[in-house]
Amino acid sequence: MIRTPLRPLARILDAREKGENPDAIERENIRKRHEAQRDQTRQRAEGRLLILAAMFFVAFGTVGARMGLMAASQPFEPSVASSGQTILAQRADITDRNGRVLATNLATHALYAHPPHMVDKARAAEELSKIFPDLNPQKLLADFTGKRKFLWIKKKLSPEQMQAVHDIGDPGLLFGPREMRLYPNGKLAAHVLGGAGFGREGVSSAEVIGVAGVEHAFNDFLRDPVNGGAPLQLSLDLTVQDAVEQVLYGGMRMMNAKGAAAVLMDAHTGELLALASLPDFDPNDRPRPLTEGDAADSPLFNRAVQGLYELGSTYKIFTAAQAMELGLVNAETMVDANAPMKWGKHKIKEFRNKNYGPKLSVTDVIVKSSNVGTARMALSIGANRQQDFLRELGLFSPAPVELAEAPGVQPKYPTRWRDIHTITASYGHGVSASPLHLAAAYATVANGGWRVQPTLLAGQGMQRDERVISQATSEAARHMLRQVVARGTASFGDVPGYAVGGKTGTADKPRPQGGGYYDDKVMATFASIFPAHAPKYVLIVTLDEPVETSGAQPRRTAGWTAVPVAAEIIRRTAPLLGLRPEIEPASKFEVTRASN
Amino acid sequence: MSYLEHNLRTVPTGWRKVLHLHWGLILLLTAVASVGFLMLYSVAGGSMTPWAGTQMNRFAMGLGVMLCVAFVPIWFWRNIAAVAYVASLLLLVGVALFGVTNMGATRWIDLGFMEFQPSEAAKITVVMFLAAYYDWLDVTRVSRPLFVAIPVVLILIPAFMVLRQPDLGTAILLVIGGSIVMFAAGVHWAYFAVVIALGIGLVTAVFVARGTDYQFLQDYQYRRIDTFLDPAQDPQGAGYHITQSKIAMGSGGWSGRGYMQGTQSQLNFLPEKQTDFIFTVLAEELGFLGGVSLLLLYVLVVVFCIASALQNRDRFSSLLIIGIAGTFFLFFAINMSMVMGLAPVVGVPLPLVSYGGSSMLVLLGAFGLVQSAHVHRPRSRR
Repeated sequence: MIRTPLRPLARILDAREKGENPDAIERENIRKRHEAQRDQTRQRAEGRLLILAAMFFVAFGTVGARMGLMAASQPFEPSVASSGQTILAQRADITDRNGRVLATNLATHALYAHPPHMVDKARAAEELSKIFPDLNPQKLLADFTGKRKFLWIKKKLSPEQMQAVHDIGDPGLLFGPREMRLYPNGKLAAHVLGGAGFGREGVSSAEVIGVAGVEHAFNDFLRDPVNGGAPLQLSLDLTVQDAVEQVLYGGMRMMNAKGAAAVLMDAHTGELLALASLPDFDPNDRPRPLTEGDAADSPLFNRAVQGLYELGSTYKIFTAAQAMELGLVNAETMVDANAPMKWGKHKIKEFRNKNYGPKLSVTDVIVKSSNVGTARMALSIGANRQQDFLRELGLFSPAPVELAEAPGVQPKYPTRWRDIHTITASYGHGVSASPLHLAAAYATVANGGWRVQPTLLAGQGMQRDERVISQATSEAARHMLRQVVARGTASFGDVPGYAVGGKTGTADKPRPQGGGYYDDKVMATFASIFPAHAPKYVLIVTLDEPVETSGAQPRRTAGWTAVPVAAEIIRRTAPLLGLRPEIEPASKFEVTRASN
Repeated sequence: MSYLEHNLRTVPTGWRKVLHLHWGLILLLTAVASVGFLMLYSVAGGSMTPWAGTQMNRFAMGLGVMLCVAFVPIWFWRNIAAVAYVASLLLLVGVALFGVTNMGATRWIDLGFMEFQPSEAAKITVVMFLAAYYDWLDVTRVSRPLFVAIPVVLILIPAFMVLRQPDLGTAILLVIGGSIVMFAAGVHWAYFAVVIALGIGLVTAVFVARGTDYQFLQDYQYRRIDTFLDPAQDPQGAGYHITQSKIAMGSGGWSGRGYMQGTQSQLNFLPEKQTDFIFTVLAEELGFLGGVSLLLLYVLVVVFCIASALQNRDRFSSLLIIGIAGTFFLFFAINMSMVMGLAPVVGVPLPLVSYGGSSMLVLLGAFGLVQSAHVHRPRSRR
């Protein structure tokens, strides 16, 4: 920096010559220099300030631009934040075999509250309790005024209720859309359908998950988006199911039974056309499970599938069929039927201590339901072969039907199988199975010997992959079953034109905790096939503790209780199933209608 | 450039000072704070408790402090600058010894009626002391190495103590705030170039040292940096703040979801929504327009300060104003960048809007200094 001298010699000398004070020149120069310096610093400071200002504005611009970019971006949900998947409310319909809806979805709303946003909490609680009488206004108010920021009030609202809540006008009461499972037929096929409830719930949707029956068994299938909402088609026939349930209900009332079950199965395919259990429930509003007492008394209990009963004399046809299959007897072979039969310390008696002996043909053993005759045949079959046969009929393992409850139903049979078990099992005691098991076994015996597995899905073809008995044995067994109805214990079961065949079974109910058997409580079962000469359907009807009181003595046997109910069911459903009444070919069966 | 050269009779005295306050600045600050009240009211779900009411009381108190500070002549503040600086250093030592620990950080001193954060005060006292230093220093010697080293040490001592608390955000604010004063004072630009180069080197060193026993930062600070670089890698954990605030801002769009209608904020997705992340609430509920409006208010505050600094021919006043304006700018620039994913999450509040007592009082006190400098600025002789 070139500095001008504070005391420039020329000017000082000049001033001295003029007699002026040279110090004034120095002061003047000092002031100028200061001013110059000040201007310079000032300029520099201002320059720096302006640079800073420019930097600030660049930063402002960046922030502003970024803000604009972010505002313009679509809001996105990071995939991990929603933990896998969003709540999927969709659920496919369930239809019967003809496409009629059994279960569908209904759009409804759930009601929830944001207490911090509520205007008048006391009034809202009061009004809500008027709309929903089951809500307690004090408790609601406590919830609203407490610390909670969110609470559910009702899971499902009707449109009327929704409008009423809307009219309260409180901004803290909010609605979330819900898919709700609806069973438009009410109680119909309740045990098959089961029911649905809510799984994971969000404000804007909730999972609908099956809790029982096919809803539970096919839960993943119904919720799978891959199926494109295609309905699940069951083998049930809505009309037939309704007829079965109506008649069964009436029969249960008439026979004073505390429960009843019916299974109607296609004898060739195993498809279930009707499956009923009484008492029943409404799957739209599933009752709570019993907290005490026997679960089997709950309406939720599916007697046809979950109920394991000693099915009694209905098993006799299996013994006869196996004996014929093994070539031990034929239909006309006379077997020893002298009662009572002694076996060790046991005494095998007939019903009411009758004696059908000394000899009965195999057909008559079945027709008259002789315990002794069946026992003799079973003894000649032997324990191992008998067990193998029952196992092949599916009577020793859980039924492979598509119900959530089915896999847990393990039929009971003695683990150490002695001769006495061979004897009792031959007429259906000491072993237990469900009516559904019995239906599948009867279908196998009746359809020509092909093994049948029960199914609830429509469109299963003929099951012809494994033969259990021969065609001839099957025909002979059918003939015997027909005779039971034509002139035996099930004479009330005859339905003109439909050639019903079947076998009754009346088993004393075992006392709980193994105290032997009740004298006055029975499980009455009628296992029937129709038409007997070319069976298409199997029908099992089971009544729990029936008493028929029209006579002088109360009558409990299946022939007086289950058989008439089954006959009425066949009378009602056979036309619905497309069966034409036909005159039986007289040449085939000698028919004498027993008059009772 | 001292007051000795100016005519003190032109400086207003007594209640006349009220007329000479920078009323525009006061109005602006009130407007910014009111935005804060609105947002705090909304965040609480439409309630004055627990935040908005307290914040209003504090703002009123802060305005009182500001006016008191403004009425005291600026030369008094220059004279006590060194004392204030030493006092704030002592307070920082006090924090290290007797501080209250919240959430893993020891930043607070319990004053009985409130918890005070000395590092907030340090931001202002450092700026004050540096301004006084450059006022004292002859302009020709500003860029001499010795006289550059002195203010650097003056900045680094409190910065280091704050970093140990640990509070990275405030430490950065201290360093950059002090640098702004030095830059405005005319320190040669080469020094800044060297420091920036060193800074880049240091960042490299910090990352190289990671995982060794000598790492400079806490693990959580490293994680914050990682998250800043890639928020998507851990949206549920360390990246949660950023991800959620980005969602909030995106969902706000241009005009927002409407006041008190923000789902992210009302449904508690946002963390620390009443403090550091309050800007996301505003951006979601009032949208881009709301955000830009707040930004404009802040810009105006800074513009007013720069204009005042340019007018002011007193060197101390000018440097003090620019230092305070710079600190204020840093506050919201860092906060907004952090919220918008432009900077790592360092925990700097949004000035005057975030819920917080210390920073509100200190900031308004600092603007009291600005007012004082403005009121007592030297007028020309004419």
